[in-house]
This record gives sequence, structure tokens and C-alpha cells, in this order.
Amino acid sequence: MNMAWFKSRGPSLELEQLQRRDQLLAPAPLNACPLTEQRMVVLDLETSGLDTRRDVVLSIGAVVIDHGGIDLGNQFERTLLRPDQKLSSSVLIHGISPSELEAGSDPVEALLDFMEFVGDSPILAFHAGFDQRMLARALKESLGYKLRHPFIDVAELAPMLCPDNRPRHSGLDDWTAHFGLQILQRHHASADALITAELALMLFSRARRQGVADLAALTLRLNNWRKRQQARML
Amino acid sequence: MSTPDAFAQAGKTAVLQNIHGSMEFLRKYAPFNQMETAHLAYLVENCELRFYAEGDCIISPDDGVVQHFFIVKQGRVHGLRPHTAKRGTDTTFEVIVGECFPMAALMGERATRTAHLAAEDTFCFLLNKPAFVKLVSISTAFRDFAMRGVSSLLDLVNQQAQMRAVESLGEHYSLETRIGELALHHPVSCLPSRPLDEAVGLMQEQNVGSIVIVDELLHPQGIFTLRDLRRVIGSGTTDLAAPIGQFMTHDPFHLPPDATAFDAAIAMTERHIAHVCVVENGLLCGVISERDLFSLQRVDLVHLAQTIRHADGVDALVVIRSRIRQLVDNMLAHGASSTQITHIVTLLNDHTVSRVIELALADMGDPGVPFTWLCFGSEGRREQTLHTDQDNGMLFEAADAAEAAHIRGRLLPLAERINRDLDTCGFTLCKGNIMASNPQLCLSRQEWNRRFSSFIREATPENLLSSTIYFDLRAIWGSSEGCEQLRQSLLEEIADNSLFQRMMADNALRHRPPVGRFRDFVVARKGDGKDTLDLKVQGLTPFVDGARLLALSNGIGACNTLERLRQLVEKNVIEQKDGAAYEEAYHFIQQTRMQHHQQQARDGQPYSNRLDPDSLNHLDRRILRESFRQAQRLQSSLALRYQL
Repeated sequence: MNMAWFKSRGPSLELEQLQRRDQLLAPAPLNACPLTEQRMVVLDLETSGLDTRRDVVLSIGAVVIDHGGIDLGNQFERTLLRPDQKLSSSVLIHGISPSELEAGSDPVEALLDFMEFVGDSPILAFHAGFDQRMLARALKESLGYKLRHPFIDVAELAPMLCPDNRPRHSGLDDWTAHFGLQILQRHHASADALITAELALMLFSRARRQGVADLAALTLRLNNWRKRQQARML
Repeated sequence: MSTPDAFAQAGKTAVLQNIHGSMEFLRKYAPFNQMETAHLAYLVENCELRFYAEGDCIISPDDGVVQHFFIVKQGRVHGLRPHTAKRGTDTTFEVIVGECFPMAALMGERATRTAHLAAEDTFCFLLNKPAFVKLVSISTAFRDFAMRGVSSLLDLVNQQAQMRAVESLGEHYSLETRIGELALHHPVSCLPSRPLDEAVGLMQEQNVGSIVIVDELLHPQGIFTLRDLRRVIGSGTTDLAAPIGQFMTHDPFHLPPDATAFDAAIAMTERHIAHVCVVENGLLCGVISERDLFSLQRVDLVHLAQTIRHADGVDALVVIRSRIRQLVDNMLAHGASSTQITHIVTLLNDHTVSRVIELALADMGDPGVPFTWLCFGSEGRREQTLHTDQDNGMLFEAADAAEAAHIRGRLLPLAERINRDLDTCGFTLCKGNIMASNPQLCLSRQEWNRRFSSFIREATPENLLSSTIYFDLRAIWGSSEGCEQLRQSLLEEIADNSLFQRMMADNALRHRPPVGRFRDFVVARKGDGKDTLDLKVQGLTPFVDGARLLALSNGIGACNTLERLRQLVEKNVIEQKDGAAYEEAYHFIQQTRMQHHQQQARDGQPYSNRLDPDSLNHLDRRILRESFRQAQRLQSSLALRYQL
């Protein structure tokens, strides 16, 4: 990547925005508190497409799991201002119209708001790798901020914790149907975040029964499971 | 600037999608569908969503004063109370999607009395208590729900208290009023030595229809009424100075002050009297007259009964009986209980049957053979509703088969006439020909005994079905002695026959209450009764069958289902708590059925016991479901007892 070009196009933030960025909290260690008390942010992004290098974040939806429950009064939902976003076929999936994007928030403000919402909590998402890369790039480009928060993938937790009766396919829809969850509006960032959080609550309940004490223990199991899965593939 | 302000701001703008979605979800259920949007939004914004895996305890008595209002978003929650018998725990109620708990505990600011467990994987919305309190204060719809919810069966089943949810409708018009409050507090009374003319003078002076004769200590000795005066004068007594003690009716009927207006009305109707003494600790403290009940515009039950007893022909009876429906309508509208109504209907039906028999005898001449008119089934159990058909028979004494045949020959024409006249009066002819005019049901006591024995010994499906009808028997007209002897040998025979008991138990499980595991009601899928359930067969029959089986097997002669349950509790055959819960449940289903019939009558539709549960309001629907669940519990206790 052409660094000179990147720097010249680098984010130009106002003083207040710089102050806010510099005050963002560093992630807390995952073994800091038991699973039953852990605060987690469950995230879903709607993007212009699936290319993590070219496509952009269009909207952010997030809910919080805290002390084992989802607080409905404390959610994050923001559509980002993307005036130059071309009408593409992905609009059929995310359903965010160009007019909505034009009425959205300034991405810098939205991302700062979101990272303040996240605080020092770990982030959960379904197929978290994608959201992590999209969010990291957006933060880098808009804020010059390096995302270090740990991500936990609910799409991995589900088959690990429910090995016996996993659905044939493992998309969010499949697991949602598997657990009989009711989704309000699929492919809407907030609704997807909520359903992912509900799924996570069910999975954490199983994890606790299996003796998992905190998120550190859970990620350790997840790493081992991932290795076993890869070994099986070979 | 990671301030709470920023979070709040983020929250404010973020509410839209998920808050809106949750509101839409809640709008499908009462009381949320009646709440203002702003109030509902406030509710959702103050909710937390939590997950409970199957078997997780959501809230228990040990958690102390309840801090949250729970709404089931997905899944099913059940209440468990420790079962006093061996089985560990016992499900007392279920809460399904869209329903709330623990209302009574929350309103009463106490701990729950029952542990609430997730019956399957469950999500609940938890509204914190301060927000709940605020909602109760700002939202009328929510407040009404919270207040009424407390009196729902759910809570009452737990408390084993008496159900008032339906009855509370008509407090001002109540047959439940204590007669102590209604009675004349300084009853007109005199000593037995008082001359007749002076006593009558006292009655005249006080403008009353009766005088109670008491001793010096106010113990009632007798009563003298205007009717007695007519008898005295009519019989040509001339000595008006004779002491009234010679003319009074001894040992007048009395009730304690705690008895209800209903009790008094029933007593007057049953005994053909117009005055009831109110006696406490053996001392006279009041008199209540038929007129007192009238003047309070309670029921013209007494009057109706008398008119029936004096009707001079079947045509007159038909006219009078149309008024029974009006009476029942009135009573239902004023919140009378189903038990009171079935009692009254039975009583008036008994009077009608007796009058029809008397009229037939007068018209056709006395056959010269004493006989007893028996009734079976719901009539035998005193559980008749307005729409009823005939189940009756005749019983007489005969030395041998030849004499029995001879007597039968003389009684059958009379029976036929009576059956026909009853039909004219609105007691539909029995399709199964269970009527006295059927020669197989006009039998001597020995023949009845043999017939009943065969039901018990040869437990064919047909005989089992017959036993469910015939074994609820009662004498309506004529001596009841033969009927009681018949019942006694019946009880003895059943007590000795455990195979028959087991077959009856099996039979009592035929009709499963329509509550499912996952959905709240199981309704018919197709046919005429699509989306409906049968209140009688699926709701009442399990109680009736269960109570009959247990009563007959335990030597209890009563036929009325509620009476059977009470005696079973007394005999420790069933637990008191269970008995009370069954009684409430039975009572509620019967009440629902009557209201349903009343609605059908208003709409000009034929009577049917099939009800679409969706036509009920949320609360009634829920109580009905809990009532069916009690039927289910009774059945599973039978299955356990008889190892089926």
C-alpha cells in the first residue's frame, strides 16, 4: 500500500474528536470477571458488500449483555453518512436505501460514539472475523485508531457448545431456527445484533453448565476446538 | 468523553428498531395491546431480556421480596410447589408466551409462594420494580391488569382461597348476604302461655306474618304464622283464649346468622315454609321471611317454586318454566355462581317433576302401588343446567318376579305419560331411552340390584358407560328408602371389586383435558367444532368421572361432584389443597359453560358446549386453562392410584 498516499488521505479530526479518540478505553483482560457478570457488546455491521478491503460499513447495531441479561434500554443503532455510496445489488440484502445513508451520521462521530459505547468490553458477533476486519479498517481510516478489542465469534461458539445437534448449515438463520428464536427483521444491524445476543445468552448458559468460568477460559477452549477442527479437516 | 450522557444519547437514538420490535411483539397480548404507545415504550426501555435454560429456577420463595415483573417472550414457565405425597413436586400452573408473573407477589410486595421454573428454554423480559410501580401509576390499562391479575385463579390456586374473580361482579346484589344482616332484629315473640287472640293481636300490631314462641330464656319453642291461623280458624276452633302453645308448629326450622340469603331461600323452597328463624347459640335472634327476600328483590325463587307446586296443569307448568330461564339469566348477570345456579335449576326441576307426577296421578288415577321416581346422570348429581334431557326410572317393592311383572304392567302407562309430559315441559326425551317408560328401567328393588350387580361384575365398555349414568342416582318422588338401600348394596359391591374400580379409572381417563404441552389449548382441528373445545366432555367430565370413581370406591353415597370432593377430603382420600383446587376449577368451567349457553340463547343459536377459547378475554382464558390443568392433575393422580 502506498503509505504517502494513505497519509495524505489520512483522517483529519477536530480537536474535540482527537481528545475523545485518545480517551477511548483499552480492552480489559478477559479473565477480569466471571461469565455471569461480564459486560459484552454484541455487534452487527451492515456493509456495502463482503469485500473487507473495499466495502464500507453502512450501519452499526449493538446491544449489551451485562450480568447475564440484555438491557433493552441500552442499545446502539446508527446509520453512517455515506453520500457517495453507489446503489448496488447489496442494497437488496441490507435494505438501507441511499436516502437513509444520506441522512446518516458523520462516520467519525458515529464510530467515536460506538467505541465509547463499547468501552473496555470484549465484542461478540456472528462470523466475528468479518465484523472485526470491517470495523478495524473503518476505525483506522476514519479515526486513525487501532482496534485491539478481543472479538469472540458466536458462529464458532455455537457448534463447540452444541456439538450433538448442530444444524446442517451454520449461518445465523440456521442457528436462529434451530433454537426457535424469533427475529424481528433480518439483515437489520440492530435486529441481527439482538438475535446474536439472544443466541449468545443461550450458549453462555450451556458454557456455564460445562464449567466455563470466564471469557478467558472460553477463548482457550475455542482455540483448542478450532485446532481440533482443523486437524480433522486435514 | 466516554460519559453516561453519550451512552444515554446513543440509547435515545438507538431505541428504534429493537424497542419497536419488542413493542410489536407485546402488542399481541393483553394488557399490552391496550396500553398507550408511550407507556409501552417506557416498559420496553426499562426491560432486560434474560435467558433461562430448561429446569433453571427463575424466581423462588427464597429470593425474598420480588424485584422484577416477568413477561415470557419465548418458552414456557411452570410453577412448582412441593407435593405432600411422595412424588416430589407438582406443577400448579403454567405461564406461556405473552403472559406475566408473579403478579400477586409483586403487588403484595412479598416473595413468591411458588418456585417458577423454566419448563423449556425460555426468554423473559424483566421489568424492574421501580419501572413497574411507575407504569402502574401512569397506565390505566396496566393498572387494571395488575389489580385484576391478583385475583386470578393462578394466585388463588396457590392460596387455596375461594375464587372471587367472577363473583365479585355483583356485590350489591348478593345471595351471599348473611341473614344475620337481613333478619328482623327484634323478632315478634311470646311465651307459649300467651292466649291465641293476644298473640295474633301482636302480629297485627307489628304488621308481621309470624310470631315465634319462646321460653323465658328466648329459646325458640315453635312458630305460629298466618298460614297456621287460617288452619286454626278453618278447623273451627272457637276458643281464642287458649294458649298459643297448643297451635304453634313445634321446633321451627332455623339457621345461624352466618347462613346466607341463598341458604334461606333454598330452605324455604325445599321445606315449603315462608319463615326461617335465625338462632345463635340456641337463642332466637331474628326471623327472616319470604317477604324479606322479596323486598330485597333477591330472587323470586321461592315464589316460582310455589307456583310450580300449585300449577293446575302441564300447560301452566310450561309457562312457569319459561320464567326459570329468566331467573337464571338474571342471576348469571348479577354474578351468581354456577353452583348456586345448578342448585336452583335442580331444585326447580325437582319441583316440576314432582308436580308432573302429581298431575299425572290425579288425571290417570293412583295405580295403587307405592313407587319411587328415580333420576340418573346430571339430574342425579344435582348438576343440571337449563338444557337438559331426561334420565329417569321407577323403583318399587315386589316379593318375586311374577309380582314385579304385574306391578310393572300397572306402572308403565303412568311412566309413559310422565315422560311425555316432562318432554312437553322442556325435558327432552332421552335419546338412549333411559326413561321410566322403558320396561327395563321400571324395576323392583331386587331387579335394580341385579342390574347394577351385572354392571359391576361384567365390566364391558357398555356396562361401564351405563355405570357412569346409573350410579349417580337419586329419588325425586316417593319414598327414598328403597333408593338408599339400593345405593348401600351398590357401594358395598364396588368396595369389594378392585377390578371394577380399575376399569372405571381407565374409563375416567377417556376424555383428556384440552391442554397441550406446547400450545395453551388443544382445539379440534377440523369438522363442525373446528378451533373449539368441549367444555362439558373435556372439562367437566374428568372431574365428574374422577369424583364418582373415588366416591363409589370409598363408600361415599353423595352424588353431587362438589359434595363428593368435599367428603373425599374429609375422609382423607384426597388432600384438602387438591380438593379445593379441583372445586374451583370445576366451578369455573361450569360457570364458563353457563355464560356460553346464555350467550347462545341471546344470539338465538342452539345450545352447544363447544367454545372457541379465543373468544374469551385474556384473563378468563388463562383461568380456564389453569382449570383444565387441574382436571389433568386429577387424572394423573388417578392413573397413579390405579397404576394405569
